[in-house]
Amino acid sequence: MQARTKLARTAAMVLVPVMALAACAGSDDDTEGADGPGTTDPADPPGNGVEAQPGFETCPEDPYNCNSGERADGGSITWLVVSGVRTWNTYSPEGGTVYGLQVLHGIYPHIGMFGPDRETFEFNMDLLAEEPQLLSEDPYSWQYVIRDEAVWDDGTPITADDFSVSWKLGTSAEAGHCEGCRSRATTNFDQIESVEGSDDGKTVTLTLKPGEVNLEWFTMFGVDDVGGGVMPAHVAAENGFDVDDPAQLGDYFEWLQETMPTFSGGPYRIVEGNLEERVIKEPNENWYGETQPTLDTYIMRIIPDQGAWVPALSNNEIHGGSPIQLIEDILRSLDQMPNVHYHIQPGPAWEHIDFNLDVPELQDVALRRAIFTAIDADNIAARIYGEMYPEYTRRTNHLFAEDHPNHVDLVTETGMGSGDTDAALAILAEAGYEFDGQTLTLDGDQIGPFRLRATSDLVRSTSMELIQADLAQIGVETNIEPTDDLGTMLFEGDYHIAQFGWSGDPAFVGLTSQYYTTGSPSNFGGFTNDDVDRLAQEELTRLDIDEAADIANEIMRIVLDEAYVLPLWDVPVFTFITDDYVNVRDNTATSLRGVYNNHEWGTAVQ
Amino acid sequence: MADLQPGLAAPPPVAAEAITTQQRNQARMAARRFLRHRLAVTSLVLFVLVVAFAFLGPLLWSYDHTVDRAIPASTPPSMAHPFGTTTAGQDVMGQVMRGTQQSLKVALTVALISTTVGSLWGAVAGLYGGWVDNLMMRFVDVILVVPLLVLVTAMAGNVRGGTSWWAVALVISAFIWTGTSRVVRGVVLSLREQEFIEACRAMGASNSRIVLRHLIPNAAGPIIVAGTLAVAFAILAEAALSFLGFGIQPPDTSLGLLIENARAAPFTRPWLFYPPGVFIVLIALTINFVGDGMRDALDPRQTMTRR
Amino acid sequence: MAVYTMRRLLAAIPVLLAASVLCFLLIDLSGDPLGDLRVAQPPVDPAVIASEEVRMYLDRSVPQRYLLWMTGIGGNGDIGLLQGKFGPSVRGPAFDIGAEIGARFLITLRLVVIALMMAIGLAIVSGVISAVKQYSTVDYLLTFTGFLALAMPAFWIGALIKEGGVWANRELGTGFATIGAASADTRGFTAWESFTDAAAHLFLPTLALMLTGYAALSRYQRASMLEVLNSDYVRLARAKGVRNRVVIRRHALRTALIPLTTVSALVIAGTIDGAIIIERIFQWRGLGDFFLESVSTNDSYSVMGWLMLSGIIVVTANLVADLLYGVLDPRIRYG
Repeated sequence: MQARTKLARTAAMVLVPVMALAACAGSDDDTEGADGPGTTDPADPPGNGVEAQPGFETCPEDPYNCNSGERADGGSITWLVVSGVRTWNTYSPEGGTVYGLQVLHGIYPHIGMFGPDRETFEFNMDLLAEEPQLLSEDPYSWQYVIRDEAVWDDGTPITADDFSVSWKLGTSAEAGHCEGCRSRATTNFDQIESVEGSDDGKTVTLTLKPGEVNLEWFTMFGVDDVGGGVMPAHVAAENGFDVDDPAQLGDYFEWLQETMPTFSGGPYRIVEGNLEERVIKEPNENWYGETQPTLDTYIMRIIPDQGAWVPALSNNEIHGGSPIQLIEDILRSLDQMPNVHYHIQPGPAWEHIDFNLDVPELQDVALRRAIFTAIDADNIAARIYGEMYPEYTRRTNHLFAEDHPNHVDLVTETGMGSGDTDAALAILAEAGYEFDGQTLTLDGDQIGPFRLRATSDLVRSTSMELIQADLAQIGVETNIEPTDDLGTMLFEGDYHIAQFGWSGDPAFVGLTSQYYTTGSPSNFGGFTNDDVDRLAQEELTRLDIDEAADIANEIMRIVLDEAYVLPLWDVPVFTFITDDYVNVRDNTATSLRGVYNNHEWGTAVQ
Repeated sequence: MADLQPGLAAPPPVAAEAITTQQRNQARMAARRFLRHRLAVTSLVLFVLVVAFAFLGPLLWSYDHTVDRAIPASTPPSMAHPFGTTTAGQDVMGQVMRGTQQSLKVALTVALISTTVGSLWGAVAGLYGGWVDNLMMRFVDVILVVPLLVLVTAMAGNVRGGTSWWAVALVISAFIWTGTSRVVRGVVLSLREQEFIEACRAMGASNSRIVLRHLIPNAAGPIIVAGTLAVAFAILAEAALSFLGFGIQPPDTSLGLLIENARAAPFTRPWLFYPPGVFIVLIALTINFVGDGMRDALDPRQTMTRR
Repeated sequence: MAVYTMRRLLAAIPVLLAASVLCFLLIDLSGDPLGDLRVAQPPVDPAVIASEEVRMYLDRSVPQRYLLWMTGIGGNGDIGLLQGKFGPSVRGPAFDIGAEIGARFLITLRLVVIALMMAIGLAIVSGVISAVKQYSTVDYLLTFTGFLALAMPAFWIGALIKEGGVWANRELGTGFATIGAASADTRGFTAWESFTDAAAHLFLPTLALMLTGYAALSRYQRASMLEVLNSDYVRLARAKGVRNRVVIRRHALRTALIPLTTVSALVIAGTIDGAIIIERIFQWRGLGDFFLESVSTNDSYSVMGWLMLSGIIVVTANLVADLLYGVLDPRIRYG
């Protein structure tokens, strides 16, 4: 039973709050609130005629089936989670980090997620009786049909009531459904006019407010949506909360913050745990899905300290994990462990260089183009990743990774990021700048020095040094000033040139307007362009996802021509697992990464 | 030496001479005793070599601590790169030189600030006595109440936007001078009742003169020892701060930062892991031995028995 | 002695108070607890930020806030140190700083107490051996080990000991654990299993923490033992023909322990520092981890609560050391 809907091609319009400034900060608190991609149902459940493929070698060709194999009954696994979470409620900014979503995956029923091919949205056909269909475009409306077998662990059916509560929990205060809910992202759910149940609640009909469009409607209630799935309505009632009363729903929100969920609508249930050390899960005996978990115990162990991972792995205290960035000596250590498989591939985050256009000297587009042209992105990436992962990918589009259907190479033809010093100097000469072999001047005034800023992790500090050297070639002097508070630095525009990362999933609609329109809070460098503002508006009203993508590409072409943001590379990530386990693999299209299919995991048959 | 200020009698030359002579004798004897302490002397030589490596090395060595395109990625030690190289293309020896330099700058600044502030604070408190002493020493107690690293972390953690070596040095010094002040106060308390201080007072010497010219020089032994301990302490504190992520930030470097960056490497790329650690141990070890030797050499009781 | 204790305790109060003012000011200067919230993306509703400011009492001036934090008068019932309430946390209204500190205190206590006892015990033994056999090979070996441990960064010792433990597990079949204070899944453990599990997790971090304390203590113990052994009354005892063992045990050691009590009080403060680092390396969720987490999130009341706790521990340790002085040294009588 596999649902491969090539819906990604038709998707569309969620202002995905993709914000993982920290995604590449390299420390423990990364990627908060990253609305990564979602995945769901294992495409090819193991043992269903798929040949066993031990190890990750086949992942590039067969991302759904690599490292698969026959499962033995029983066993226990301890999975590394690289950062703690503050609260249990995935709707809140504190609880809804990628780590919160990872820890709680397998508890909440969800609609689906993007698959490991990073393209296909896989509906969760354990929960759904049929693939959701768009009913109408005006008003925008669609419906879910839930399987009769789908129940919470106490036997209560999963119904429209659960969807309704989950929707209201994620709305903003202005919507009036909840007093005191502090949802980490309200844009999607605030579009919804109603969530109606029929057929004993087994059919759920969602309708957007008049005039609202959401081309990526199918990602709602997916694993990377605000809550990472659907919250139970009956648990609210059992604990005395009337969810139709906005104040009491707010209380339910707080209750979810503080209470470790012992209920479950997924393959596992939590039996014990805390969010600082570990969460212990066991199979949910009332799970209705096709592939039942075989592991007796599934432990999520939270270990933020990178230095502790290899000793813990060799000491059998953890068995696998999917950290958010490459750490060379950890990979080298894994190389020395014959019983450990690991796999590197481009992750959900990508690095880029931004100008702050409030700096008077940087308001000259010729200077900006020359600087971008002088930066040798390939050399930097090779210096950082070449030893571990020579296959790293340069990023050539602000929105779409190379394997995205809407990807267009925007960067190469511009010559930006090529490190072509002569071309850069030619641009400058034409614009009237003078270069004496040492210093760049305009009308006798020295250009710069500029403040070049980024977080101080190994990757970015190496990058800063190389950029500094590249720019010295065209006489632009820079001072490297590291920051340990990237958010504040960007927000306050406390930089001249900055490198940071964004993280996202294949869903894209609305992102360009978030990043590049005048006055948008995530447009840190103060870029303003009338064409971009107009196109961004237009993108949001399109009903066809490819049209929206074309407009987005058009916007990025302008952004690049204006030399505002230069994409550098996709940040590679890795997943590792000992050979005692099968069906564990990475899915970089979702925040869940390795745990996306945790119900299929098992100990290998010896 | 006529005193130009009316009303103030010039100190009788005889007394002054006596004091300086005594100092010179003490210093010479201490030096002689120190030199007899073989371990301490070897340590001192080693320490000086490390300092030279850190401050003169970069002038002679062809690579600094920054990334250089000409440097091959991640090679083990070789003739061209005696400590090997990093992946990004940094010469580890260049890094260790710079790291040692920055760590030593921190440590020596801490030693300088903490002994200066600590000595003055302790001397003034001891000399004035009474409520001044009480107030000043209670202030020291207040700082001593909280474990040092904790306070330093709480402070350093919030020096936002990149911590430079002098910021680290200032923060460490701000909490470490208290030890010196206690020691000096103790010495001053015993000194101030002695005849030569009373003589100075009788001659009308100002308090600042007494503190600077008489009390502190006479407490030189304990002060120097406290200074060496401060160096060792600061080196380790800087490393601990780097480990916790609150120390000097890249692109600058320090010994602590170098080890922290190489923490996963002891078995995979030992050339990244061991050199900075060895230098920390070397500095802390030698300075401790030097301090030990000085303590023995300057011990006043030894002076008395040998006289 | 009771009177003396009381007097010392009373004298400690102004010191602690002043320390609390100092810390409060430093922490207030050093960061905005709501900094992360203010720059969150997508931007957080200003109304939410304003209500957080009220909840964290950030709408009040620093002196007002200090008084409130100390007394709890005028607060919402969640603040007031004198009432045993530590104040609100940026980690949400449900986060009880006091309860968290309490729970974590027990975890760290286990680590610190065992490490300290072992450090003191070992330091006494090796200090005595070193002093009695001055300039022997054993003395040089112990002295050098002490100096080496004193010169190594705590996290280096920790990392090396951890690698050693992993090596021993592989080669010798020992069962040391490297992560946390207990196994992830301790359900169904018998009392004995729980005990051995805890011991397996305690061993390596305790060893690391012990080494850092031992180094300083053994140096002092050797020095004070040497001093006593060279003193007149010990020479007299020897001259009278008292047996060497008796001299060392009854006359010398007892006196030589006196300076050690003072140093131990200082070492306790150092061990609290050390525990922060060792807990990070071995991923314990104790007070050290709580402290680092609080610092990095600018959770000011959590940091304050922590500083007050450690301040009280240090003050108490000093007091205990002073009282022990009296027990060990008959010349001192507190009145």
